[in-house]
Amino acid sequence: MTARRGRRSRRSAEERLRRLLVMLPWLMEQGETPLADVARHFDLTPEEITADLELASMCGLPPFVDEMIDVFIDDDVVFVGIPRLFTRPLRLTAPEGFALVAAGRVAMQLPGADPAGALGRGLQKLAAALGEDAVVVDLPRGPGLDETLAELTAAVRRIEQVDIRYWTASRDEVTDRTITPRRIFSDHGDWYVAADDQRSGERRTFRVDRIEALTATGRFDEPEEPGGTAEGPDWFADGGLPQVTLRLQPPARWVVERYPVDDVTSDEHGVTTATFPVASQPWLERMLLRLGPDAVVVAPAARATLAATAAARVLARYEGA
Amino acid sequence: MAAPTVERVERLTNLLALLLETSQPLTLIEIAGALDGQYPDKEANRRAAFERDKAALRDIGVPIETEVMIAHHAGATGYWIDRDRYELADLELEPEERRALQVAVATIRPTAGQDALWKLGADALDAGSAPVTAFVPDVAGLPVLRDAAARRSTVTFRYRDKQRRLDPYGLLLRNGFWYAIGRDHDHDGSRTYRVDRIEGEVVAGPSGEFERPAGVDVAAAFPADPKLIGGDDPEAVARVLVDAPRAAQVERELGSSRVVARRAEGAIEVEVPCANEAAFRSWVLGLLDHAEVLAPPERRADVIAWLLATIDRPRPRAARTRKRRAS
Repeated sequence: MTARRGRRSRRSAEERLRRLLVMLPWLMEQGETPLADVARHFDLTPEEITADLELASMCGLPPFVDEMIDVFIDDDVVFVGIPRLFTRPLRLTAPEGFALVAAGRVAMQLPGADPAGALGRGLQKLAAALGEDAVVVDLPRGPGLDETLAELTAAVRRIEQVDIRYWTASRDEVTDRTITPRRIFSDHGDWYVAADDQRSGERRTFRVDRIEALTATGRFDEPEEPGGTAEGPDWFADGGLPQVTLRLQPPARWVVERYPVDDVTSDEHGVTTATFPVASQPWLERMLLRLGPDAVVVAPAARATLAATAAARVLARYEGA
Repeated sequence: MAAPTVERVERLTNLLALLLETSQPLTLIEIAGALDGQYPDKEANRRAAFERDKAALRDIGVPIETEVMIAHHAGATGYWIDRDRYELADLELEPEERRALQVAVATIRPTAGQDALWKLGADALDAGSAPVTAFVPDVAGLPVLRDAAARRSTVTFRYRDKQRRLDPYGLLLRNGFWYAIGRDHDHDGSRTYRVDRIEGEVVAGPSGEFERPAGVDVAAAFPADPKLIGGDDPEAVARVLVDAPRAAQVERELGSSRVVARRAEGAIEVEVPCANEAAFRSWVLGLLDHAEVLAPPERRADVIAWLLATIDRPRPRAARTRKRRAS
């Protein structure tokens, strides 16, 4: 959502009409409403609300020109009479319907969601307007994962520090650390927690399924400064990372969709050349072993033998047995 | 010159009111007459301005009905709005249900979420308030597919360079991708399509074109675990030794019931689904040299062959066997 502050761009006619069509029925139901409340509810400035309502009051059709919508503002309070039109909001569009259903289904998958609760009942009522569909959301769940997520969510709410035992994929090692969980999010089938890492003093992102043990400490931190940036899907984008360029046969192309990629080209034989930011050497080793003979490192030359070296290391286990 | 944006909103509102109030379809001539002076006089300009307004109203979701007129306006198109189709029915949401939907929308922040909430009478979203959020991919075809599944309307779209006709039974979000599941007309069978791979627009037909068979389970269209997809024996398991550094996490992932032996110093032996050879191999290799396939011998041999091929490229083509995850 655009923040109210800093929005300077001119609102289009469609956008103003769309807002007016939800504002009028709402105002009618509210009765007299302070202008500031209307502005807050619709994420607009009082000036924008005033301009839109004044315009609405001028709309009309013969023989009732200028009196179709009975609205006026006096002493910063909005008054609306019962109009003949615009008493109900416009029906939900397909994108709006999808947004509500998808959001509802995701929320029902979060730890602790109650199908018989308010959200479940609300979604059932929505089905009356939107039709029964089958939108199924399958977020990663499991007894261990659910428990960790529930504990992390509680820690975010209480702003409590927790001790965790965590497997760091980039170094392939398990470490103990203390974190203050700030936000939990799911992305591409995995759960993450963004937290203040007490050891480094920095904000770090941890994958929840890699937390092997978690203990609450009973120590509490301060709330975050308001306006802190929400972790977005680009949270792992980092221009400072080294890169690797791979030539991928068709069976290996899936990595382009699975991992952040800086550049992709495909030739007419279905061979793809893609450049990836390299999170760490173990990460690249895992990826190259999975792709096996279907991937070749094009650049840098120093990484050309990485797959063979890693494969030989794993193979040694089998040959030694 | 007067501010054109202000005039346009006013004209749009008046046009909307006129089409809602009329008891019979109105031609453009009649509309321009009723909105006296608001449309250009010259016919071509008037038509262009009206088409633009009509597109704007449809864009915000107003259903404009059209009809070719007979009698004295014969041949001209008449326009009107059916108020029952225009208005959102009262859903009779309780305040706590409205609040729950608002919290849900804050969880994934979909593009059209705020406008939807306003129509339900809920407040503006509070940025950054939700402790738990989910990034749900925003793919253009999703709203049409959901609506078509609800209306039982057949959809057409291009996918892998072919035109497809699908009776959509439902949508599934799994591992970060949206899938459309339904009956494909040309294959006359159940098919799964990745929605983000659909090329161009999804076009839906009229309502009620098909019936959804009883007992369709969208979530069961394909297994959540890629290691279970394909293969002759869905029950097949392999025995894998996992070293201590990764044992705790693997046990959490698979569940303790999959642990069949515990060795000294924390290593475990686990039984892992391996119906899908490629997915199983990918899982084991993700553990690098912290894991070793013990049995069955074919799976162990497959991993060894794969590692040898990785060391000594290129591998002979004949050795390739692979299964696709979803069409």
